[in-house]
Amino acid sequence: MKNLFYKVGVIVPPLNLRGGQGAFIFLFLTFIFSYSAFALDLPPIPSQYVYDEANVISAEREGYLNQMLNKLEEESSTQLVVAAVSSLQGTSIEDYSIKLAEKWKPGQKGQDNGVILLVAPNERKVRIEVGYGFEATLTDALSSQIIQNEIIPEFKAGDMESGIVAGVEAIINVVHGEYTASANVSASSSKKKLSLFSLLFICGPLTPLFFLILILKLLGRRHFAYTGHHGSSGWSSGSSWGSSGSSFGGGFSSGGGSFGGGGSSGSW
Amino acid sequence: MKKSLPIGIMVLIGIVAFIGIIAFWYMSTYNQLVKLDEQVNESWAQVENVYQRRADLIPNLVQTVKGYAAHEKETLQAVVEARAKVGQVTAGAVQNVINDPQSFAKFQQSQGQLSSALSRLMVVVERYPELKANQNFLQLQSQLEGTENRISVERRRFNEVTRNFNSTIRGFFKSFVANRMGLEKRPYFESQAGAEKAPEVKF
Repeated sequence: MKNLFYKVGVIVPPLNLRGGQGAFIFLFLTFIFSYSAFALDLPPIPSQYVYDEANVISAEREGYLNQMLNKLEEESSTQLVVAAVSSLQGTSIEDYSIKLAEKWKPGQKGQDNGVILLVAPNERKVRIEVGYGFEATLTDALSSQIIQNEIIPEFKAGDMESGIVAGVEAIINVVHGEYTASANVSASSSKKKLSLFSLLFICGPLTPLFFLILILKLLGRRHFAYTGHHGSSGWSSGSSWGSSGSSFGGGFSSGGGSFGGGGSSGSW
Repeated sequence: MKKSLPIGIMVLIGIVAFIGIIAFWYMSTYNQLVKLDEQVNESWAQVENVYQRRADLIPNLVQTVKGYAAHEKETLQAVVEARAKVGQVTAGAVQNVINDPQSFAKFQQSQGQLSSALSRLMVVVERYPELKANQNFLQLQSQLEGTENRISVERRRFNEVTRNFNSTIRGFFKSFVANRMGLEKRPYFESQAGAEKAPEVKF
């Protein structure tokens, strides 16, 4: 139904304004309708890789998934996010999924290697949404196979979380099977450290700048210690100051990837 | 020292400042419109990409279906013909499609015909269990579904960008600049073209 209003909104703009005030009010009203339909109430960007609004994943499995997905990002920079939502708010799963992807933007900017595994238990729909840069690896056909062969059999048996875990594992296998040559986060972070030192050397003769950087660095360290203390570790744990607590660290932070509607959907 | 400037010079300064402000406004509006125009072109390129992707899938699909459902000559023929027509429309004056409402409508119509021919084919296919079990066909089917979804995503984005462009160039002052630049209102995709509507199935 909501989609219908949106379509009306799209048809209306060529309407001739010379029709007078009636036409204008009509136009205005359709815009209001189209906007109210437009505004899906999407969940905010999560701080972890698993967003379980529908409450279908146990805390234990959620921790396991988060750890696995954090490892995946460290190894391949691929951001795979799992979302189990309690309602699609009357729209199709494809529509919900692309709008969620536009909001959450998983995947690294430029590489667009984000994936969303979206599950709507109440509508009995599942979708794998694939970022632009990942369409060649995780093809529509492959995502469809994962949904049909790995996820749906478990869902049909009533075991939601096993289906989700099986789907995530399958996608990770796809990444590892064909995406080995990708950027390695640990290598790039050591590069970052080096460039910081060379920066200090270059700035050495310029004492004021040196001090400024030193102060900034100190401030940064204090800031890091502060957030670390509170345990709300975001991507900052991946920077040059040792991320020793890998069991604890990590968490999802939107990389800014783009999506174009690739992937596949299924229902059970 | 306290003596103020002669009135003539003050007026002159005022005029110069006024001209300066107008020039600045004109330049920034010009830049804004160029940017919006470029956005429309860019998203149009995406739209063409995904439609091309669909057209590229068709020969393979037709070939696979033929192997199992040779009786469905008419349905297959309709798809092949619709694809050929899409090819003709796209080949002629690609850049003009978004500037000329008529050729835009033609483009949309031919793509809509292809959409409905394709969905008729996918309905017919349901009657052939062997075909539906064919691995190659299943792959093509999921690719086609994915491509149809990409098409609706890019169409929506194109409409959003174009709506923004159209409302900006019709703004009260900005329309002057737009007129001088020769920018005109761009056509939208309309939803009844058939791409999102399931075709009626008649038996």
